[in-house]
Amino acid sequence: MTCRLLALLVLAGCGAAAPPPSGGVPARIVSLAPSITEVVYALGAGERLVGVCAQCDYPEAVARVPRVGGYLAPSVEVTLATRPDLVIAVPSPGNREAVRAIERAGVRVLVVHDRTLADLWASMRAVAGALGLPAAGERLVADVSASLGAVRDRVAGRPPRRVLMIVGHSPLVAVGRGTLQDELLTMAGGVNVAGDAGQVWPTLTLELVVARAPEVIVDAAMGSEEAGRQLFAGLTTVPAVRSGRVVPLASDTLFRAGPRVPEAAAALARAIHPEAFAG
Amino acid sequence: MRPPHLTARRLVTTSVALVALLVATLVAASLVGPVHVSLARALATADSTDAVILFRTRLPRVLLGAVVGGSLAAAGAALQALLGNPLACPHLLGISGGAAVAGVLALVAGADTVSPVVPLAAFAGALGAIAIVALGARAGGRTTPHAVLLVGVVFNALAAAALMLVNALASYTQAQGVLFWIMGSLSTQSYGLLAAAALYGLVGLAWLGVHAQDLNLLAAGEEGAAQLGVEVERTRRAVFLASSLLVGAAVSVSGMIGFVGLIVPHLLRLLLGPDQRLLLPASFLGGAVFLVWADTLARTVLGPVELPVGVVTALTGGPFFLFLLRRHLRRGLA
Repeated sequence: MTCRLLALLVLAGCGAAAPPPSGGVPARIVSLAPSITEVVYALGAGERLVGVCAQCDYPEAVARVPRVGGYLAPSVEVTLATRPDLVIAVPSPGNREAVRAIERAGVRVLVVHDRTLADLWASMRAVAGALGLPAAGERLVADVSASLGAVRDRVAGRPPRRVLMIVGHSPLVAVGRGTLQDELLTMAGGVNVAGDAGQVWPTLTLELVVARAPEVIVDAAMGSEEAGRQLFAGLTTVPAVRSGRVVPLASDTLFRAGPRVPEAAAALARAIHPEAFAG
Repeated sequence: MRPPHLTARRLVTTSVALVALLVATLVAASLVGPVHVSLARALATADSTDAVILFRTRLPRVLLGAVVGGSLAAAGAALQALLGNPLACPHLLGISGGAAVAGVLALVAGADTVSPVVPLAAFAGALGAIAIVALGARAGGRTTPHAVLLVGVVFNALAAAALMLVNALASYTQAQGVLFWIMGSLSTQSYGLLAAAALYGLVGLAWLGVHAQDLNLLAAGEEGAAQLGVEVERTRRAVFLASSLLVGAAVSVSGMIGFVGLIVPHLLRLLLGPDQRLLLPASFLGGAVFLVWADTLARTVLGPVELPVGVVTALTGGPFFLFLLRRHLRRGLA
């Protein structure tokens, strides 16, 4: 949330500090979230990464970058040992203390959010700005917006379908309103049947699924496809079950607020309006 | 207030009353939920949403709640008598801990949350825990309640530590599933699973019932009981095994739902007296009623969102447990 500029790195117990970067453009960057890593590469600054979180797996070039701990639990020591000029983080359940510790050690930290599409554009611009690449940031935002727009246009004019998107089988956790995933669902021509549940990630009672009668069920939960189908198999009045439209969706693009969001949107659109993509 | 000894008449009337209460509860709970369901439509059209909701989602869940609640409460009553401690609960002796560890390991190893692998693994874990605690507490051919309690509590602590370790190492989404299983859930569509749990519940209750009178005599003192012909060692072992099987079966299908096995038997003992011949079946029926209502609350109070049932039993059971504890402290019994 804060974005403080500090002139020098101070490493406790480490000999000579690195010389200050000229003009304040960071040359050594640590990314603590997979979405941020993808944004940095998309901005063309991938070679500046000196540390990434363990879950960062795209693009392939990131394999050579050393790991500094997990998205949920980054290692403060390992991060500081890479002598970064800039650490970029997304708030995760568990990394708050680590990020604070890195800030206290005198390293510049940029925190961006990933909850909504608005967060996505803001984070791309913020990261680009911090890297000294504002023009590239604007281009990236424009490109990703255009790709999303293309998905929206592909399904434009079709009546929206009732969709249930789940991220967990047991408990049955659905995507609620107020999430990036919900926005993508709407953009892909769907209406979220769990949108009024009042929670961002509601745990639904099974009878709700029957009552709301979704036409498509998008299964983004971990666990096999078979498990998802079995879970709903007995609910024979649900249109999605009757027409066999329980669609599994690989979740890495869906849950990363990064440049591949249009791929997730396209996958959703294909699941919700398959006729728009036939032929 | 209560008569000094149990008559056949009292046994029958209390049981019938409780059975009637249970049936009424099952019917009422099946008709309550965040979605309005018309019983007439459900019975008329097998293919209506009402029928699917009632018979595929609500009824199996309500029945499972009854079976699990009954099993936990009956086990609680037996264990409280066996250990001579009215504050004992079925999860105390580590059987549920063993089941939880095995179930969680199955989840983390990649088993689907909706497959029967997890309950089967959990039941195997419960059996393992029973063996460890029974053998661990056995010394010189005797298994005293004191020894069982000590070994059980230690094993429980170990199981809890193992659960925390697994939770720490598992991925974030796996950990959510693990947590929900530990907090307990009655959400099921499987009549097969329900039948298996019911079978274990009734067999366990019958097994306990056979030893009910012996358990009464044991409560009055080991020597006195032995003189009256009770085979102390055998009775203790049988009661421990039967209640552990009840707990293991319940936890394997629904996770660790707390407080049912503690407060239901205790409450019924205050109302009906300590005679196990009445208290055991009464606890089963009372536990069934309690858990069905707790689960009905859990799946209704927040509208479309459901609370873990363990939260509701804890919120009602927690304050009650404190009240019991204070009562015991005041009587100088703790």
